[in-house]
Amino acid sequence: MNTKIKKILIANRGEIAVRIIRACRDLGIDAVAVYSDCDKTAYHVRLADEAYHIGPSPSTESYLVHDKIIAAAKRSGAEAIHPGYGFLAENAVFAQRCADEGIIFIGPTPETITLLGDKLQARAAALEADLPVVPGETLDGDDLKAALVKADRVGFPVLIKAAAGGGGKGMRVVHKPEDFEEALERASSEATSAFGDGRVYIEKYLDRPRHIEIQILCDRHGNAIHLNERECSIQRRHQKVIEESPSPVMTPELRHTMGEAAISIAKKTGYVGAGTVEFMVAQDLSFYFLEVNTRLQVEHPVTELVTGVDLVKEQIAVAEGKPLRYRQEDIKLDGHAIECRIYAEDPQQGFTPSTGTLKNYRIPAGPGVRVDSGVVIYNEIPIFYDPMIAKLVVWGSDRTEAISRTRRALQEYRVAGLKTTIGFHLAVLDNARFITGDLSTSFLPEEFPDNNYSFLTDDIRRCAAIAAALDKFSHERKIALSSRSPGKSEASGWATHHRRESLRWFGGSR
Amino acid sequence: MSRYLVKIDGNEYDIDLAYRADGYSVTVDGAPVRVTSHRLGETRSVLLVEDRSFEVDVRSNGLADTKTVFMLGVEIPAEIEEYHLGQLRKTAGMKSGPSVQKKLKAPMPGLILEVKVAPGDKVSKGQPLIVIEAMKMENVIKASGDAVVKSVDVSKGASVEKGDQMLEFE
Repeated sequence: MNTKIKKILIANRGEIAVRIIRACRDLGIDAVAVYSDCDKTAYHVRLADEAYHIGPSPSTESYLVHDKIIAAAKRSGAEAIHPGYGFLAENAVFAQRCADEGIIFIGPTPETITLLGDKLQARAAALEADLPVVPGETLDGDDLKAALVKADRVGFPVLIKAAAGGGGKGMRVVHKPEDFEEALERASSEATSAFGDGRVYIEKYLDRPRHIEIQILCDRHGNAIHLNERECSIQRRHQKVIEESPSPVMTPELRHTMGEAAISIAKKTGYVGAGTVEFMVAQDLSFYFLEVNTRLQVEHPVTELVTGVDLVKEQIAVAEGKPLRYRQEDIKLDGHAIECRIYAEDPQQGFTPSTGTLKNYRIPAGPGVRVDSGVVIYNEIPIFYDPMIAKLVVWGSDRTEAISRTRRALQEYRVAGLKTTIGFHLAVLDNARFITGDLSTSFLPEEFPDNNYSFLTDDIRRCAAIAAALDKFSHERKIALSSRSPGKSEASGWATHHRRESLRWFGGSR
Repeated sequence: MSRYLVKIDGNEYDIDLAYRADGYSVTVDGAPVRVTSHRLGETRSVLLVEDRSFEVDVRSNGLADTKTVFMLGVEIPAEIEEYHLGQLRKTAGMKSGPSVQKKLKAPMPGLILEVKVAPGDKVSKGQPLIVIEAMKMENVIKASGDAVVKSVDVSKGASVEKGDQMLEFE
């Protein structure tokens, strides 16, 4: 089957919708956006060729409703749906529905999604493909007592994970048996609300492992390649926040071995499209299969910057039925790329979400800098969705250059109205252990135990204090001046004052 | 002339400001500092401190004595007060900021998934009180100390804004 796709509906929002719209534009394909109530003026809607309203703000009433997405696709005449990541990206029922309706789902087959989306089945598939896996136990409706016995057998600390999971949801680390019950309850309830499936399983929690994943790309003709690794060890709440490629510990031999392992599970499961095989890598560089993400990853741009491959474009080509245009030996690894996820969160308060309006928003630019932003100035950050507002992805000829460029780019950001993780990233990039590349998934709690991510020097604090004092000073003066204008209207008092202020602000020279 | 105490990250700065014909005269902790400011708009300006240049965006947070300074890509919260008021407060031994919390406020905007207590309940430190879903994560709000619940102001399914009162203790 070979179809030329002319119009794609993007069943997503935020930066990933924008990213996919851009790929469509590059290929001369019409891009169709969908949007909920609070996304009426969102950036992805502004950039798309067409936009369809799909209901109220909660994603369960809009972005997650199969019927609404399918109806919008039919109305727009799109031949294909790109699900992005999150929402319907790993939903086999939706992928099947697309197939039934004669719409191309840009991703693997429903069968592959079902198999790999269930972590338990994925584990079994990995074992069949001779991949090493982390010791663990399934909980098939076990009561608390039986579950505890199994947890003990695996050995504390254990990790409770949602069978249907992803993105750190429904996941809990348990260090002591007495904390097991509450963690189990929470994980299961979180899994139920996030995935509609409360099944969980337990796994041995490895000591200070690295998270390293392999990007794969497979076509419908049995060709499969890997596009090197991404190191994603810098995580908070089991969610990646900084990713890079290549990994500072990777050797050509290990890359080859892990790449081959990734390809073998892809072949075993009939994988089609872009995907990611995640591994934990122990301190001794032994590696364990974690899971396969059957979608485009948030952090895909770091791979794009070091390989020069446009992954979204390749996803579309595969969906059209074309054979891969790259062979394994065509995949290069040029320089070093780092991604910082910019979240609307307050890192100093344990990364609590910070919602509001972007009163100022200017993004960095310059050599090596790519910003995949889902927002523009005056956008409101709604409470309904993931708080990531942008990804800063920076390329350098080596890791050192990539780090210093990233630091430069972060300081070029101008954001007001919200708390963001920009300062957090600066603190991490200044950290000596990060600079040497000594990473693990417990890096953040180890290096920043009090959540103190301040990178401010006394010098900068003093200047900020002066700025705050000047602001108060001029406001107080405004009030004093306006109250000293008897017989005049408030407005003319302000006008006089404003003229005086303008002279003061702009007229003076030192 | 005005004198302020500005607190950032636990560090305190004593800043003295006066207009001069050609700009400002500024001292920080008694030492004179050359400061020039060029306004870019309502809240933004280019600030030169000695010869270091910054683009700053200063916003008030609704509370009179706190401001947020956005510079170098980050937001810096600053507490600011009149110098003499600050001195008075210090000699009186008062702390700045609110006193002991009798009210439990929402730490983030979100959806109430569960309310685990009722008026009259005795709660002990660490006991789960309310579960809020924010940005797809479940957050368990626990008691910060032993207390008795006086009133419950939210119910399951309600959405709260940051700072909304959720519970009151006796």
